[in-house]
Amino acid sequence: MSGDARGRRGDAWLIETTVIGLIGLLLAVGTVNDVVRQVHVNRRLVVDLATWRAYSARDYRNLTIEQDVKHPDSTREVVCGNTSPGAPKERRQLCLIITGAVVAGRRAVQGGYYLPPLTVVDRRSARYACFGAAKSQELCER
Amino acid sequence: MSSLAEHPPPPPPLPGSAGRARRLAPALAALCALLALAATAEIVLDGALDHSALIPRSPAIAGWLAGIGERLGYRVFLIALLAFSAAYAVLLALAGRGALARLRPRWAIGLVGALQLIVFAGPILLSTDVFSYIAYARMGVVHGLNPYLHGPSAITGDPIYHYVGTDWKLVATAYGPLYTLLSYPLAPLGVKGALWGMKAMALLASAGTLALVWRCARLRGLDPVFALLAVGANPLYVIYGLGGAHNDLLMTFLMMAAVALTLTGRSSSTRQAWAGATVVAGALIKATGAVLLPYMVLSSDLGGHRSRRRLAPIAGAALAVLVGALAAYVAFGVHGVDIVAALNRDAAFVSTDSFPTEVAHLFGKPGVFPIDHTLLKGALAAILLYLMWLTWRGYDWVAASGWALLAIVVTSTWLLAWYTLWPLPLALVTRERRLLWAILAVQALFIVHQISPLLAPVR
Repeated sequence: MSGDARGRRGDAWLIETTVIGLIGLLLAVGTVNDVVRQVHVNRRLVVDLATWRAYSARDYRNLTIEQDVKHPDSTREVVCGNTSPGAPKERRQLCLIITGAVVAGRRAVQGGYYLPPLTVVDRRSARYACFGAAKSQELCER
Repeated sequence: MSSLAEHPPPPPPLPGSAGRARRLAPALAALCALLALAATAEIVLDGALDHSALIPRSPAIAGWLAGIGERLGYRVFLIALLAFSAAYAVLLALAGRGALARLRPRWAIGLVGALQLIVFAGPILLSTDVFSYIAYARMGVVHGLNPYLHGPSAITGDPIYHYVGTDWKLVATAYGPLYTLLSYPLAPLGVKGALWGMKAMALLASAGTLALVWRCARLRGLDPVFALLAVGANPLYVIYGLGGAHNDLLMTFLMMAAVALTLTGRSSSTRQAWAGATVVAGALIKATGAVLLPYMVLSSDLGGHRSRRRLAPIAGAALAVLVGALAAYVAFGVHGVDIVAALNRDAAFVSTDSFPTEVAHLFGKPGVFPIDHTLLKGALAAILLYLMWLTWRGYDWVAASGWALLAIVVTSTWLLAWYTLWPLPLALVTRERRLLWAILAVQALFIVHQISPLLAPVR
């Protein structure tokens, strides 16, 4: 390989390494940002579970949480759980719409609705007895 | 694998602090090896107890291990994975600096073998894919259904159905026809028998890959012990790849077999034709394996006459495509041949661990949109073409293939841990060290992305 050719390959190596490094940096920042974001979400979810238990006065553990994935900045979550002891979703479920900032380890319950026993998928057609924001937003069919 | 006696003798002892550091290296390596073994055993023993968020529901194949551990949760799993990763990093650093040269290769082989056997003895870890493999096999053999036309939901009465992942119950197979045909003999063995068969197939493919990595590293004048440790003691390879009995291991085995054929048969057109055919065989396991072919064909690294040299792998590949397509058509009809449709379907999937999703979140988007898929495909095509041009100009085709596979991993919106294993064996048989560091960095980022349950557990 001639000196010129070696020099061109050296330049190419430097450019490639720089591009790879920049891509790596972007991926690293994206990863750390995602971890931090998920940690915040997890902490909020812990508060949501405590809020559901406090609101319903039940110490039920197998709660399900639905997040608003279409709006990443949204803090609105819907937490559902059985209103009597039993396997997950086997009993009547109470679903609470929880939003806002954490105050004294709880968040605000804006409203909610019920789901009949054995409802696996939370659909509008299955919901009943909407209250609060759920009623004004017409989240229930019945 | 080449004779161990052929391994170069250890270097003479160094004076002063460098000599002391080198003397301490075996002890540190032994400590790291024990840590890796303990972390693997912890995951396997805890996983054997019962299903959890990390252990899929499975027929009881590891019940005899169940009395020792506790149910595997995120905390213990992530601590074990991080400990294993740290041990792996130190082992690689020591091996890379030649500090383990005094240790016999048997030590590295023993460690890698023990890691593989611990995982083999345990339950299926972290993925339901293997149950899909068995379901597709049972659909074809037991129920007379075409797995390229129906998802496992067509066999709801079959005992394997309950173990198939929820997301995959309606999905027809996207795996290559060769893999589907290879899995058919396991179907009559029952669910447990087929599961052990899948685990054995993954173990054998892994052992074959590691043997070929060793052989190819030696052929290229690289350190085979470093190469063996870098692949065989890799935490994602052991825990996710082998732990889930993924068919990716079979694809990487065939990829490495193709590399070995080109390295041992530089002047033999027949061997190069076989190399081309072997790449196609890998692609008939999982279509991603086809990525190697253009780089192999464009390589100027192969011996012999230039035009004949390029013709041999093309001819071998073309013949293999013909035979494979004919067999697939006879066995599965036109749907068994149409791998492109399955790839297009899978390319639309999005996983939370994928880098495009993470970057989308970074820019405040909820996830990737259709336009992002198009942009990513364009970027991937540009990278693949650039690598082809480099290979044409004399760049190592094995390294180019590794970069191409890594580019697929990084640009894919559907990223799973075992996908990061595709380019790893290739990186260990090339002098392009940037490739290895890039793969390890991607794997490290994948592991970092898993740790949020450790920092903020949801109870």
